[in-house]
Amino acid sequence: MEFGWSDEQDGLRARLKAFLQANLPDDWETIASQSPGSAAVTDFSRQFCPKLAKEGLLVSHWPPEHGGAGASPWDHFIVGECLWEAGEPRGPQYYNVNWIGPTIMAYGTEEQKAVHLDRMRQGDVIWCQGFSEPSGGSDLAAIRTKAERTDGGYVVNGSKIWTSYARLAEFCFLVAKTGPARREVSVFLLPMDRPGITVRPIASVVGDGDLHEVFFDDVEVLETERLGAESKGWDVIRYALNYERVGIPRYALALRTLSRAVEALRCEGNFGPEAEMAAASALASCEAARILVYQTVDQRIRNHPDTGSASLARVAVVRAERQVADFVLDWTPRLFTSDDAPMVATHHKRAIAAGIASGAAEIQLNLVARDVLGLGV
Amino acid sequence: MEFALNADQQLLMSTFDALLARHQAPPHDQGYVAYSADLQRELRDGGFLDVAAQPDFGLLGAALLVEAAAACPVGVEAAASMMIGPLVGEPTGPIALAWKLGDPVRYLAEAGALCLFEGDDVLVGAMTDEGRTPLDSVAAYPLARLCAAPSAARRYTGDEAVAIRRRALIGIAAEAAGLMRGALEHTVQYVKDRRQFGQPLGHFQAIQHRLAEDAQIVQACKLLAFKAAYEDSDREAAVAALYAQETMRKIIYDCHQFAGAMGLTLEFPLHLWTYRLKYLQGEAGGRVAQSRLLAKTVWETDRNSVAA
Repeated sequence: MEFGWSDEQDGLRARLKAFLQANLPDDWETIASQSPGSAAVTDFSRQFCPKLAKEGLLVSHWPPEHGGAGASPWDHFIVGECLWEAGEPRGPQYYNVNWIGPTIMAYGTEEQKAVHLDRMRQGDVIWCQGFSEPSGGSDLAAIRTKAERTDGGYVVNGSKIWTSYARLAEFCFLVAKTGPARREVSVFLLPMDRPGITVRPIASVVGDGDLHEVFFDDVEVLETERLGAESKGWDVIRYALNYERVGIPRYALALRTLSRAVEALRCEGNFGPEAEMAAASALASCEAARILVYQTVDQRIRNHPDTGSASLARVAVVRAERQVADFVLDWTPRLFTSDDAPMVATHHKRAIAAGIASGAAEIQLNLVARDVLGLGV
Repeated sequence: MEFALNADQQLLMSTFDALLARHQAPPHDQGYVAYSADLQRELRDGGFLDVAAQPDFGLLGAALLVEAAAACPVGVEAAASMMIGPLVGEPTGPIALAWKLGDPVRYLAEAGALCLFEGDDVLVGAMTDEGRTPLDSVAAYPLARLCAAPSAARRYTGDEAVAIRRRALIGIAAEAAGLMRGALEHTVQYVKDRRQFGQPLGHFQAIQHRLAEDAQIVQACKLLAFKAAYEDSDREAAVAALYAQETMRKIIYDCHQFAGAMGLTLEFPLHLWTYRLKYLQGEAGGRVAQSRLLAKTVWETDRNSVAA
């Protein structure tokens, strides 16, 4: 056990800092204050990710045969932490490099790998995730969207909801029923321009472009677009979610927001003992979240089976996000409308989703009770 | 960054666990106070109190041992001896930490040395029976009142005093983490065994969710304490102590709620962990002092200048 960083890892952080300074425009924080799925951030990601790719930092953790450098997952995590702290200039493309790409590497055919991984590592393709439905959110196995067999493949009917990035996405990582039993599902890599797909944005408090409904009416899907074996999609999903669950180092932006709020209070001479206690407490919660996330990354690197550490980390991350959001609401709500601190509004908008996106926090508590404490049925 | 124990650390912990194994069962005649002079002696004789001075282990090795010892229902002064001992020479017995003259102090009656925190300075001296009055404890720590500072004390100032204070906080964090783990593990076992309404208490989601939150807290406390020991920095020490002192109230409350009236009895050992935790909650100034230290370290706050 040790908690240090190598010289190379420190060097990587310095390199990223310099890269961000050189490649984020002066108005980046204003752009980022729109949601990750907004047209502005998505467009920006199409310029930013190719530069990140050229620098060898977009998919550095992918194996060389897929265009990566075989860098340590820690290196990739450091990249993600720095970029989330900066407001996530990769926009929706963090999906690709964090979990869609690795899942395709694990389950994809050679053709699927060639087509999709190539686009992802160039940094200009947008994907969405077709999981949640009106009938199946936390209970993902209760989805009803069906993929029924035809001569050449499948025909898909049903609908998805809460789908981030759907309006601008070229592809959907789609889960659909291919049999009557629970968990008898398959995953499809579906082009979003296929006839029969309708996307309807849902206006939301988290910002434009983050929530959509997606309707599938007799959408034809090729056999070759299925990822993994038919009706074995649950394994694919579990693999993907294991990557996704700690995918976002939310505490990084939370810490930056907290420091920005404290700086404002100090400038005004208002950082008194009560604010100091609340701020220190929020900072400690962020550090608690960080160390649990690091533990999960470490377990993944050592291929340890996840015995609930990802869920523990998510519980801590949600708590930290809320504490920072509450600190700003309590002490510096004026920063939400301040032109010189757009990141505070960004954090405010994104924090509300921390306990909901990629699995409700209460589901994580169920998993901790079961997997960590051995409680329950 | 590596969370698994290395081979040396594994060997250290397996040796230490073998020692603790003889003390894991709560004594039949347990009272209010958890303290074992036997275990205290075994720690010293086994060379464990000096672990921080060994290059293979350092302060992280000490934190691992403090946490493990605290999870044991039998109490022992390990934190100050292992964390501060290397800074102040070899004491002849446990080290007591006094934050104010006249206050009740943990392990004072048993102590061979005393660290008295005086403003920014720390007075360190050998402890004798003069100057201490044993007290009936309301904590599960043995307490005594400090009536007078040791006559032949050395005054530590500046960076040396800062280091002693920092080590005290790391010790508090590691000890609190072990106490919380001990209380939680005992409670989890209890809700698996205790049946009401035809099923174990642990099948109720209202209980599961609270214990799951507690599991997150306990794991974070432990890792933050270990990280603070590894880095031996003011920032990480304040983070670890603050997080522990802020979250322990929830662990104490939840464990006692789920133990029901059994948790009020001395025969049920829960208080051996929770009534030590309760005393640690305000130790070293509690979360108010730790918040101030953290804010000062991270944001360079000087409240006097802010007020002006």
